[in-house]
Amino acid sequence: MARNDPIQQRGAGRVARGDAVVGLPRAASIAASARRNNWATAYLLLAPALIGLAVFRLYPIALAVWGSLHTSTFGAGAQRVFVGLDNYAFLVSNPVFWDSLWVTLKFNLVVNPIQVLLALLLAVVANQRLRGIAVYRTIFFVPIGVSVPIAAILWQMMLDPNRGVVNALLLGVGLPAQPFLTSADQALWSIIGIASWKGVSFWMVFLLAGLQGIPRELHEAAKLDGAAAVRRFLDITLPLLKRTILFVLVTDTAINFLLFAPVYLLTRGGPELSTNVLMYEAFKTGFVYADMGQGLAMVLVLLLLVLVVVGLEFRLLQAEDA
Amino acid sequence: MAKRSSGGRWPVYLLSIAVCVLFLGPLLWGLASSLRPLDEIFRYTMPFSLQALYPTTPTLDAYRVIFFEKGFGRAVLNTAFVATATVLGGLLVAALAGFAFARLEFPGKRLLFVLTVVTFMVPFEAIAIPLYDLVQGFGWVDTYQALIAPGVANGIAIFLFRQFFSEIPSDLVDAARLDGASWLGILFQIFLPLSKPVMIGASLLLFLFQWESFLWPLIAVRSEQFKVVQVALSDFQTQYTTLWNELFAASIVAAVIPLLLLLPLQRYYVQSVVGTGLK
Repeated sequence: MARNDPIQQRGAGRVARGDAVVGLPRAASIAASARRNNWATAYLLLAPALIGLAVFRLYPIALAVWGSLHTSTFGAGAQRVFVGLDNYAFLVSNPVFWDSLWVTLKFNLVVNPIQVLLALLLAVVANQRLRGIAVYRTIFFVPIGVSVPIAAILWQMMLDPNRGVVNALLLGVGLPAQPFLTSADQALWSIIGIASWKGVSFWMVFLLAGLQGIPRELHEAAKLDGAAAVRRFLDITLPLLKRTILFVLVTDTAINFLLFAPVYLLTRGGPELSTNVLMYEAFKTGFVYADMGQGLAMVLVLLLLVLVVVGLEFRLLQAEDA
Repeated sequence: MAKRSSGGRWPVYLLSIAVCVLFLGPLLWGLASSLRPLDEIFRYTMPFSLQALYPTTPTLDAYRVIFFEKGFGRAVLNTAFVATATVLGGLLVAALAGFAFARLEFPGKRLLFVLTVVTFMVPFEAIAIPLYDLVQGFGWVDTYQALIAPGVANGIAIFLFRQFFSEIPSDLVDAARLDGASWLGILFQIFLPLSKPVMIGASLLLFLFQWESFLWPLIAVRSEQFKVVQVALSDFQTQYTTLWNELFAASIVAAVIPLLLLLPLQRYYVQSVVGTGLK
């Protein structure tokens, strides 16, 4: 369309004739063609990423949406039958779903703020210039190398109520032994603890990188002005770290809403469904009860929930920019 | 700084030491257990005695068994290969896309960026089944590409590069544009050399994504030939669930390898701090 713009053609003609006059039309034409050039560059740069994401992330979601509108029949000649929103209607009427939703929300309301705050604290400590800090910092990195299944295996042995080392130590200092993962009151908290043990280091890395991007001069100057350490942290560090904190919070939220492995490996949703997070309920519905349509509907509700929460987090943290 | 008394620093030291004990404790416990004969695993724990802290009759038997009898080495090599390929491909893809999102204006930018962010809210668990149908259609079941390809385009890595690139001062870009530099030139000659933190962050992310992935390799590859670490670990748990020492030996190996790669990066962090330090 822009190609037929008369101004542009005139501009192009002038260039072709070697016209030395740098007129407004020619400048406009260069700007327009540069812009089109940028568009092409941008799409080329984006192409590998967008194709990869479209094929391996978005298209499967579309397939999942489609699947959630169907139900499978069993026996010979099993096939998928279109049932519209029946799977979703059943969810709304299912108390197990609501319980599971509540467990998921409870888990996330606690685990996300805890992990971000602890990661920030750890990053601030790791950013101190202390004697031997290199050694401490190296150790702060260690849980990054430990996968969720391994963290679960290690802690499962240590939290064993009868022969675990944690209870041995509690008894050793005169405290009562705790049931941990075997009690409906403590299981969710134990999983929050294990997930945080594994997760906090990872988020610390990003916050530490962010902290190191803040020029020391800013702090030195504020210190000369007599600002206390806490004031400096609130006035200088936090505002400059906001992008990083937002990234950490949003990503951590997405991961924790969908956390699955510790529940699968440690409690299978119990005791008494106290750790029955929605992702596990969806897995169970899909694979154990073989109701894939129902399971996919749960996953999609979960995805929607994550989008809403992440949107709120963006709002909350970016509102101050305006 | 040197003039300040270090007396006020002891809470920080105390906190650091407590964190170190908390982080290293479980791994050292696992290491000690992996060096014990099977019948001694829980022997000194309850009631607690000092022998619980170290293996009284240390043996490498569990390690010998997992590597020479249960083929754990093959799984380690498979995972290392898959993770490395994903990091190399993923860094390139994410840097290109992050640059476009951070520095170029084009129609549909906002929508495409939102879509990118949406993709990292998607659990692999949720898309694994439909993804399997897709990968099967490509004829990729039981291949390395089935494990690598879905991990290369990573929304978080793209987001990370975009955030980092948009904080680089515009003056640098404008000056280079005036000198006639192409966008690719600006990306590779100006932006990437400045981007060590985000490259390290994104590499970590991509590497660990593959090193830790469990459900996808479980369904996408079937043969021993392509088995990865976390799946091999879960085999120890189900088939040999009473063999704690082997389970812990495999866990320690699976944890130590990413740590060996992390340490040089961590040193780089330390050096960069020292470099921007006092003076």
